[in-house]
This record gives sequence, structure tokens and C-alpha cells, in this order.
Amino acid sequence: MGGVTYYDLRHVTGQVTHIDIDNGVVESAGTSFFNKAVLRVLDRTGWGVIQIDNFTPCTGKKFEDLIASAQNLAGITEEIVELGDVPHGILPVPPMKEDPRSVSIEEKSSLLAGIEEAARHPLVTNRRANYNERIEQVRFLDSSANEYAYEICRSGFNVLAVASRNGNVQMGYEREHTIHGFDLRHRQESGKKAAGIAVALLDAGAVKGGKMHAVLDPELAGVFAHEAVGHASEGDLIQEGNSVLKGKTGETIGNTILTIVDDPALFEFGFDPVDAEGTAVRRTEIISRGVVNAFLHNRESLAAVGNGIAGHARAMPGEPPLVRMSNTFIENGDASEAEIFAECKNGIFLKGSRGGQVDPGRGIFQFNAEYGYLVEDGECTKMIRDVSLSGEILSTLYRITLCANDRKMSPGYCGKGGQSVPVSDGAPHVLLLDAVVGGSGVD
Amino acid sequence: MSSFSMRWWVAVAWIEDLIREGLKSVDEVEVFYVEGTSVSADLKQKKVNLATSSRDCGLGIRTIHNGRIGSSSTNDPGTWRECLVAAIASGKLSTPQTWNGLPEPVSFPASPLSFDPALECDPARARDLLERMLEGAAEHPAEVTAGSASLSVSSVTFANSHGIRYKDRHSGVSLSLEAIHRQSTGYEFDHACSLKDVNPRNVGEKATFFACKSADGKDIPTGDYPVVLSPLAYAELLGNVFIPALNGRSVHSGRSRLAQSLGQTIADPRIEMYDDPLLPRASGSVRWDAEGTPTRRIDFVRDGVLQTFAYDLKTAYRYGKKTTGSAVRGGFGGLPAIGHHNFIVDGKRGNVSDERVVYVHNVVGAHTANPMSGDFSVELSNAFWMEDGGFEEPVRSAMLSGNVFDLHKDIAGLSKESRAIGSLILPSIKLNKQHIIGK
Repeated sequence: MGGVTYYDLRHVTGQVTHIDIDNGVVESAGTSFFNKAVLRVLDRTGWGVIQIDNFTPCTGKKFEDLIASAQNLAGITEEIVELGDVPHGILPVPPMKEDPRSVSIEEKSSLLAGIEEAARHPLVTNRRANYNERIEQVRFLDSSANEYAYEICRSGFNVLAVASRNGNVQMGYEREHTIHGFDLRHRQESGKKAAGIAVALLDAGAVKGGKMHAVLDPELAGVFAHEAVGHASEGDLIQEGNSVLKGKTGETIGNTILTIVDDPALFEFGFDPVDAEGTAVRRTEIISRGVVNAFLHNRESLAAVGNGIAGHARAMPGEPPLVRMSNTFIENGDASEAEIFAECKNGIFLKGSRGGQVDPGRGIFQFNAEYGYLVEDGECTKMIRDVSLSGEILSTLYRITLCANDRKMSPGYCGKGGQSVPVSDGAPHVLLLDAVVGGSGVD
Repeated sequence: MSSFSMRWWVAVAWIEDLIREGLKSVDEVEVFYVEGTSVSADLKQKKVNLATSSRDCGLGIRTIHNGRIGSSSTNDPGTWRECLVAAIASGKLSTPQTWNGLPEPVSFPASPLSFDPALECDPARARDLLERMLEGAAEHPAEVTAGSASLSVSSVTFANSHGIRYKDRHSGVSLSLEAIHRQSTGYEFDHACSLKDVNPRNVGEKATFFACKSADGKDIPTGDYPVVLSPLAYAELLGNVFIPALNGRSVHSGRSRLAQSLGQTIADPRIEMYDDPLLPRASGSVRWDAEGTPTRRIDFVRDGVLQTFAYDLKTAYRYGKKTTGSAVRGGFGGLPAIGHHNFIVDGKRGNVSDERVVYVHNVVGAHTANPMSGDFSVELSNAFWMEDGGFEEPVRSAMLSGNVFDLHKDIAGLSKESRAIGSLILPSIKLNKQHIIGK
């Protein structure tokens, strides 16, 4: 192992149980298994990484051979990678209220069928419900004798309703995912809600594109925080010179009522008991009262960039860790929802999201609302179909002028570098002035 | 066949055991086993920061008993017994359906379609590719932020209880580079199954070209404009919305806007859309699909008229149709589902920028398009005014709003060149009138 300055090994085994019910038919249901590991080595210069499917933990000669092959790979690297000093440690995974493993798949299937059935409506042409339960056993060790092991179970469901009339096809989609245990009981309301939205959207109008004031619900405002600020504050992008937030530490880029946080220690869907490099996780205030405060880091970007907090390395099983968000949110303000609508006066109220995307180097983001309402004289009136917004990171944050005090987190998944990891986003209701809204409506 | 099957037997005796074991409990068994290796090298700015090698494997088992389909997967083939038990248990939960059997074996030419035996997963080769990209990138004064080169080979073993014993091999090389010039970004990529078919220098040159050329863009007033979507921008919209609507399962279960459109004009009459699984050296090419059905060309749209939807065995049996050989698997050990192999948009080619148009190289946020209605609003990325192929004034920032289904009726032309974007092979398309929202 001569020359090796650092190594770590992250081994994840587990199983995924899924149920797919489509218009009353159990399309598929069952359990699959996985076993993946990733070994990373630093040898004078950069990273040599080996990804291994079906890994058997080993010691002695076998382990040294693995290290040697990773060293060999590292031989083609040129950049000298340094690792920042970080606190280590692991948080307990919160106990589940009901362990999904104690519920038979037949019972899960029948509960899911109840949710799917609840989406029945004469105008609904398709109802589809999916259950997903993923149990991971994670083992981590590194060359400094840090060693962690934990098990985490993430489970939840989606329900989709498609309504159709005279060639007009609309959808309603509800989802619930959690780390707190089995959550399929008493959830029929979600099916009913998905159907209600799909049917209502058949009569909704298209918004006319342009600038207007927008009230964002907690889910959508959470996606806004994720796209407009979260990605651009990721230390690896700053290090590459691919973020407009590079060099902005201490600068004001938004309204003083705005504080945006990423907190992997929060018991939400993006919770990590320890990060994928063995670093202890903690709350990171990215934007404090409008000022760029701290970047999200892994050990490498902490050393290269500074001005932030490590503990944000995350990875899919068997993949090398990247700097990622976990639970990202806008802090509560002191406005009431009523004040926000009164202040908006005329504009749109937008709800739900199919996500968004950002080009952090250019500083431009796009995000989408599933549906909304026109706001006329402070009141919600006509329903509108899905709407997308775009904005510029360095100017949009000044236009968040009010935050309510009703923050709520919503679970989801975030993609980067070909890896998808569980996250949650959230916010209170917020007012965004002069939002740039895309839409093909004529009036 | 006999000498081939003998060698096959020795290599994967455990698959024969698996099928035999499965047939004790179920009518039919299908086994899909894939093994692969890859290497990649990644840049942080202009220096190689990380080199990766991976060894992947995946086993997918399906069982069918009295019309009940069960499935499971694992990436530890040593635990195939557990996986088989899980597949059989899964079958007991699924709703029974009409089922007329897995395919029978047929003989195929032995040569793989998307495999280059000369491609080796050599880290030094990956580094060379990065160096050639960097040479190309140096043509323009933008900064490289990140880049990647990867090489992969995989072999697929497919067997079923009707006697199918197939093997296939794939190889792939993929390149990408990102660059920034002040506050303007550029990105380019390339992929192929052979090193001969990628151009690393061009990837680098284009990435820095777009970063530089898009700097100092001007605003565009809101309005309707003639627009050209590059293959990349078109692929984003087509792949997220239009192609899923051709999926037979979505059609029959009420999740496709095209469900009632068979025999109707859904695109400009000059448009053809088809899946050609047998195209040599294309990345999605296969002689048999993920269920062992021989593949063939599928003409989805001819002269603008919708001709057919895509089917796998399960959906075809259920709805009294024939499989189109469209079963594909997502990733290592994924289960079969309806997809496509090489989806091609074709038709009469010409000059798409003979008049002044807004050329859209890429879009931001296409995955948020409404997959049912087809409505989308996306942010433009590397958009320019263009005339006669020349990139003129860049557009700073704007949104493009429209409907993925409806825009196909507004197609005014296809460019001379096509380009592979993953498993889509597309020209640039010119649209007469699309709505742009300025800032």
C-alpha cells in the first residue's frame, strides 16, 4: 500500500420491494436484491476508484490487491487532491413507527389497491399506484480507522390519475415517501385527491406567459430553493468554476427575510446519519438573511474552496460520492398566508411540482408547477394548468418579499452525475414578485 | 448450433440448473444475465482528478405460471436460488392474464451489431481521449470546468425454458466536456460503440465554442418565431413526452394522448418515425429484444400518419396484439418493459435556416413537460439567431412554450445531417411558429 495517503470503502447491501397496480391489475410485485461497493484510494495525486458489484468483504492480501488496482488507476490522474479536516461521527437512525418488513406483501398490495381504487371517477381513464420500499445496510470504513454501519428503510407510494375528455388529457399525481416506517394505511385520500386534480384540470385554462407576481406553495417554493440556490452552492461546482456563487461569500444576493438551509441531520426523506465519506452531518445555512454564508462540501471541495461545511457527500450504492443536497428549505418568515395573498393582489398561486433544472454556471434555472389558480384582488379564482417559471439566481432572490410561517417538507429524488438520491425540499408559502412565467395561453 | 450450445453450457451451467429448478414450480422460466466492465477518467477543470473502473453484473429472472408473471433480480448470481424463490413468490401476487408462451429459439447471425472487439477498457486510453478533447477545447478562449471519458464492454446471456440460449456483446465509448466563458456555459458530448466513430477533438471544440459564442447575448421580445430545434433539444422533448405515448401499455391503459390517433395524421406529411433495431454500430442495436423476440423495423409514423404502437409479449397477449419486439431492460438486471432500440426521425432533408430563425441548441427543464398533455415551457440554452447555418447573435435568456404533440404538425423541414443522442437518431427540425417568452 506504499504511496496511499487515504482510502475508504462503502459497501451497501439491501433489497427493494415494489408493487405496481395499474387500473386494478397487479402488474408486478415482489422483491429484488443488491450488493454494491465502492473503494476509493488517493495515491500522491487524484482518486483511483473501483466499483464492485456483488462484493465480499475481505482483508489481508485480497484487500491489498484491491487497493493496488485502485492505485494503478490513480496513476493516470494529475490533480493533487487534498482532503479537509472534518468531524466524524454518526447519528442514530430514528426508529420506525411500523417496520414495513413486519407487514406481508399481500397486505401492502391490498392497501395500495385501496389508494388506487379511490382515484376512480367517470372521467378518469387511468389509475396507477406504485409502492416502493428500499432497505439499505451501509458499511463504511476508511484508512483513519473510522468505521460506521447503519440500516435505513425508505418507503412510500405514488398515485397517478389520468383524466381524459375529447382529446384533452390531464393528470393528477400524489406521492408520500418517508424514513419513519410503513405509511400505506389510511391513505385513500391521496388517490381521491389525484383524481380530483386530474378532472379539475380538464376545465383549467393555460396561463399567458410573461412577468407576474406569484405565490408559491411550500412544495413548489422548496423546489425553487433547491434549483435556484442549492445546486449552485455545491462545493464541487464551485471548485470547477461552474457556479455563479463562486467568490460570492459574504455578499448579499437576496432579500434580508430569506434564509436557505440544507440539513442532512433532519429526520426527513433526505436524512443521512453520516455522509458517504464518514463525515458527521450538520445543518448548513447556505443563505443567511440574504447573504451567501456557506457552501455545501465534501472533504475535497472543503480543502479546495473553503467557506462552507463538509458532510454533504452522498452516493448511490456502489457509486463514488458527490456533493449533494439532502433536506433543503427556506426558513419560516413571519408573514401569514393571508398577508401574502393580499400583497400579491393580482397574479398566480402555484402548487406542486414535477421538478426543475438549473445551469449553475450561467445562473439560470427553470422549475415547474403542476397547477395553480389566478389570483385576482387577493383571491384565488380560475384554475390554471401546469406552469413553468425561469429565473436568474443572482437577481431572483431579491424578489422573494414575504415568507409565511408554515414550512412543510416534501420528499423527492434529485439527479446529478447519473446518480439519483433521496432528498426533501420545503418552504413556507412565499411571494415571488415579477416571476417569469412560461405559458402558451393567449388570455 | 450444437457446438455453440456445448460451449455455452460449460460457461453458464448454473443457468441450466436455475431453469430446471424453476420448472419444478412454474410453467416457464426466463433468465437474463449481464456482466460488464468499464473504465472512466474525469476532469476537474483541465486536470484528471479521478479514474474509475467498475465490474457490474445483474441477473433478472421471470417466471410464468397460469398467466401470472413473477420477477426478481439480484447482482449476486451466487444467490440465484433466493432470487428464483422471490420471482415465484412475486408471481403469486400478480393478476393472471392471457399468456401464450415465451418465444421459441431461432438462429441469428453470430456477429454482434453494437460491439467493437478492438475496444479495450484501458484507463490510459480514457486519459488520451480527455487529452484530445482538451486540444479541441483550446480552440476557443473558454475555461473547461469538467469532462469525462468512459469505455465499457458487456456481455449478455439470455435463456428461457423453451430452449433459447442467446449471447450478445456490446461495447461503448462516451465523452463529454463542459466549459464556461464569463457567465456563459457550453456542453458537448459524443458516444458510439466504437472508438472509430467518436470525435473527441470536436467534442472539446464545440463545448468551448458554445460557451464563447453564447456570451453577451441579447434579449428577445416575447412573440412567435420560426424556430430550429437541434437534435439535442428535440431529443429532450421527444424522449420525455412523445415516445412514451407510443408505448402500447400506456395506450391501452389510458395514459397516452395518441391512444385514439391510429391511422390519423399526427405530424407533418414529410415526417417518418421508426425504430430500426438492426442498424450496424448504433448504440441500441440488438437482434433479439429483452424477451428473446427477434427484432425488426417498426414504422410508427409514415407520411405523418400514425401506424402502430410498441408492444412486448405481456401487453400484446393481454390486448390481442402482436409483440413488436420492443422489450428493453433498464440497466443491469432490470426487468423487461416496452421501449425502443434506435428511434429514428426521418423524411425529406433540406436547409432549415434559409430564412432567419431562432436556433435552439439545448433546453433546460424538459423533464418537467406534462407527459400526458404534452404542454411544456423550457428555458433556452445556447440559443442564437441563425441564417444559412451561421450562428449570429446569441439570445441571452428566454423560455420556449408549446406542446410536444402539436409541434409535430408545425414541422417545416429537417436538416441534412442527423445525430445520435443516446438511442435516438434525429435531425434538427424547423418549426414554423413557436412561442418564445422574453425577459
